[in-house]
Amino acid sequence: MKKILILILLASGLSFANIKVVASTTVIYDLVREIGRDKVTVDFIARGDQDPHFVEVLPSYMLKLRNAQIFFRVGMSLELWSNQLIDGSRNNKLKVIDLSTDIDKKEVPNFKPDASYGDVHPYGNPHYWLDPENAKVMAREIYESLSSESSQDESYFKSNLDNFISRLDKKIVEWSNKMSKEKGKPFLFFHASWIYFADRYGIKIAGYVEPKPGIAPSPSHNADLVQLIKSKGIKTIVMDNFYSDSAPNQLSQLTGIRVIKVPTAVYGMKNINSYMDMIDYIINQIVQNN
Amino acid sequence: MINRLIYLFVIAFISFGGICAQSNINPDISLIGTFDTYTNFIKGSPGYGKLNFDTPQMELFVDGYLNPYARGTANISYENGQIGVEEIYANILRGLPLDMQIKAGKFLVGFGKINTIHPHAWPFLNRPLFHRVFFGDDGLNDIGVNVNFLLPTGEELFTNLELGVYKGNFIDSLHNSNYVNRGVNPVFVGRFSTFFPVGDFGNLEAGISASYGSYAKSNLIIYNIVPVQDIVPLNYFYSGLDFKYKYAPDSYTALTIEGEGLLNHRDVSRIVQIGVDRTTADKEKISNGGAFVFIDYKFEKQFSLGVKYDYTAGIVGDAPTFSTLANDDKNATQGIEGWISYYPVEETTVLQLGLQHLMFSSGDGINRDPQTTITLQFLFSLGPHKAHPF
Repeated sequence: MKKILILILLASGLSFANIKVVASTTVIYDLVREIGRDKVTVDFIARGDQDPHFVEVLPSYMLKLRNAQIFFRVGMSLELWSNQLIDGSRNNKLKVIDLSTDIDKKEVPNFKPDASYGDVHPYGNPHYWLDPENAKVMAREIYESLSSESSQDESYFKSNLDNFISRLDKKIVEWSNKMSKEKGKPFLFFHASWIYFADRYGIKIAGYVEPKPGIAPSPSHNADLVQLIKSKGIKTIVMDNFYSDSAPNQLSQLTGIRVIKVPTAVYGMKNINSYMDMIDYIINQIVQNN
Repeated sequence: MINRLIYLFVIAFISFGGICAQSNINPDISLIGTFDTYTNFIKGSPGYGKLNFDTPQMELFVDGYLNPYARGTANISYENGQIGVEEIYANILRGLPLDMQIKAGKFLVGFGKINTIHPHAWPFLNRPLFHRVFFGDDGLNDIGVNVNFLLPTGEELFTNLELGVYKGNFIDSLHNSNYVNRGVNPVFVGRFSTFFPVGDFGNLEAGISASYGSYAKSNLIIYNIVPVQDIVPLNYFYSGLDFKYKYAPDSYTALTIEGEGLLNHRDVSRIVQIGVDRTTADKEKISNGGAFVFIDYKFEKQFSLGVKYDYTAGIVGDAPTFSTLANDDKNATQGIEGWISYYPVEETTVLQLGLQHLMFSSGDGINRDPQTTITLQFLFSLGPHKAHPF
C-alpha cells in the first residue's frame, strides 16, 4: 500500500513538474511566459539592454541550458553564440526550437553575402519580432512546442495563446491607428533591424546611420546623411538603445534631427516589462517625436 | 617535404571549400593573419632603435560538426616561414556516460586559463613569461587525450574537472641536450575550475591546475670504487592557480582582471665535488615558479587598453630555458607590458600598440641589460568567427 502511495505521489509530482525553458532573448522569454504561465519555468540568455548579436559565451548560460527541456531562439543566424552554449550544456535531451521557421522572411540575400556587405545575415534579416503580427507566429510556435512537451496541458496552453492573441490583436489595431499618420514618411534608423516594423506600418527607411550593417558610423557617411536628411526632410532617427548615440547626436547637432532611443527587447529599459510594453513605447516615441 | 604536403593539403582543402561553398554541411573555415612591426632597445641588438618587420603569421582554422555528437577542429599555422599543424583534434561533446566530454589529438592543454586561448584572442601582445620558461615559446601544446567532467555543484556554480594524459612534446622542447632522452613516458595534466556570477554584471572564474611527469633522464655518474653510470628519471610537478574576473555592464564596456601563477618542483642533477679531482652528479629538488596579472579595460566598442605584470624564475630568452633553470634557479625575469587596442570593425581588423619592458636578476653574476620593445600589431580575421568564451 505504501509503495502504491509513493508511486502515485511520484507520478503526480512528475505530472505537475513545470516545463523548463530557456529563451535566447527577453522577447521570447515574455512570449513563453504568456503561453506557459504557471506550467513553465522560463529563463533567458541575452539581457534586454544587450545587443543580441554579441553575447559572451558564459558557463552560467551553459548551466541554464543544461537544466532545460526546451531552448527557443530567434534563429536566422542572429544568435551565433548559441551553438557553443548548447555544446557546453552537455544536455543530450535539449530540444532547440527556431522560432523563425514560419516567419515570412525579409531581406534574404539573393547574392553570395560576404563581409564586404557588413554583417549581412545569410538567411535574411532576423529582427522579425519588431512586427507584432510576427509575435503571433512566434507565440503559436511556442504553444506547439510546449503542447508537444506536455500534451496533457495542451488545452491550458491553447487558452493562454488565445488570450494573448486576443489582447495583442486589440493592441495591433491601436498601434496601427497611432502609426497611420506616419505612413509614407521617411525615417533614418541606426541599424538594419527595422525592416519588419517599417513594412508593417508603411514607413520609409530613408537610410541607416551605420554605413553597412554592423559597421561603425564614419565621418564621410555622416556627411552623406546630412545631405539626405536635408533633402528628404527627415525628422527622426530611431535607434536600438544599446548602440552608442554619438554619431546620431552629431547628426542632430548638424541638422536638428531628433534621436529616439528605444528598447528592442523586454527589460531593455525601465518599465518595459512585456512585449506589449515594448511596442507601446516604440510607437509612442515615434508618434510623439516625429 | 612534410611542409610541402601540408601546403598542398591546405590548398586542396580551401579549393574544395570553394567548390562546395553553398553546402550547409561544410565546416567553418577562417583565417587569422598577424603582422608585427617593432623597434627594440636591446643593447647589441642589430635592430636597436630601428623599424623591424616580422614575417607575417597565419592561422587557418577548419572547424565543424563531425556528427550530432562531436566536432572536429584543425588549425594550420604559418610562423617564422614554417607551416605546421598547431592543433588537430576531435571533441566528443555529448552522448557519453556521466556527460563527460573527450578531446583527442593535438591541442592547447588546459593548464591555467590563458594557455587554451589562441594568442590572437589575448588582450595583450606578448606571451606570459612563465609560459615561455615552463611551457616553451608555443605554450603547453601537446598530443594526447583529455576527459572533461561537469561536476554537480548546483545551478549557480559551473564546476569543471579536466584530466588528460599527453605524449609530453612540450616538455621535450625544453629538453637539455646534456640529459638522456626521457623516452616514451606520458605526462599528466589536470585542471579543476569553477565559475560563478558576481552581481548582475560580473563573473568570476577560479581554477587550480597540476601537471606531473618525467621531463628527462639524468646521466648520473656514481663514483664508488669504480665509476657507475646511473640513468635516473628526472620528474617535475607543476601546480598552478588562476583567476579571471570580468565586469561587463553592457555589450561594449568591460573591465577584466586576470592572473595566473605556477609553482615548479622538480628533480635536477647537479655536479658535486667528491674529492680533490673527482666530481659526481647528484640528484636534487628545486622549487621556483612564475606568475602574471593583468587588467584590461574596454571603454568603447572600438577601444581597449591594459597593463600586465609578469614574473618568472629563469632568464627569458635563454635556450633551452628549462635546463638553464636546472643549474641556476636563482635567476629571474620581470616584465611590464602596456597596450592600447583599436577594433575599427568589430574583430575583423585589430590594431594594437604595445610596449614591453623586461628586467633580469642574475644569480650567475652575469649582468643582463633591461630590454624594451615597442610593437605595432595588425591583425585581421577572415571568415566566420566564433563568439569568445569567458
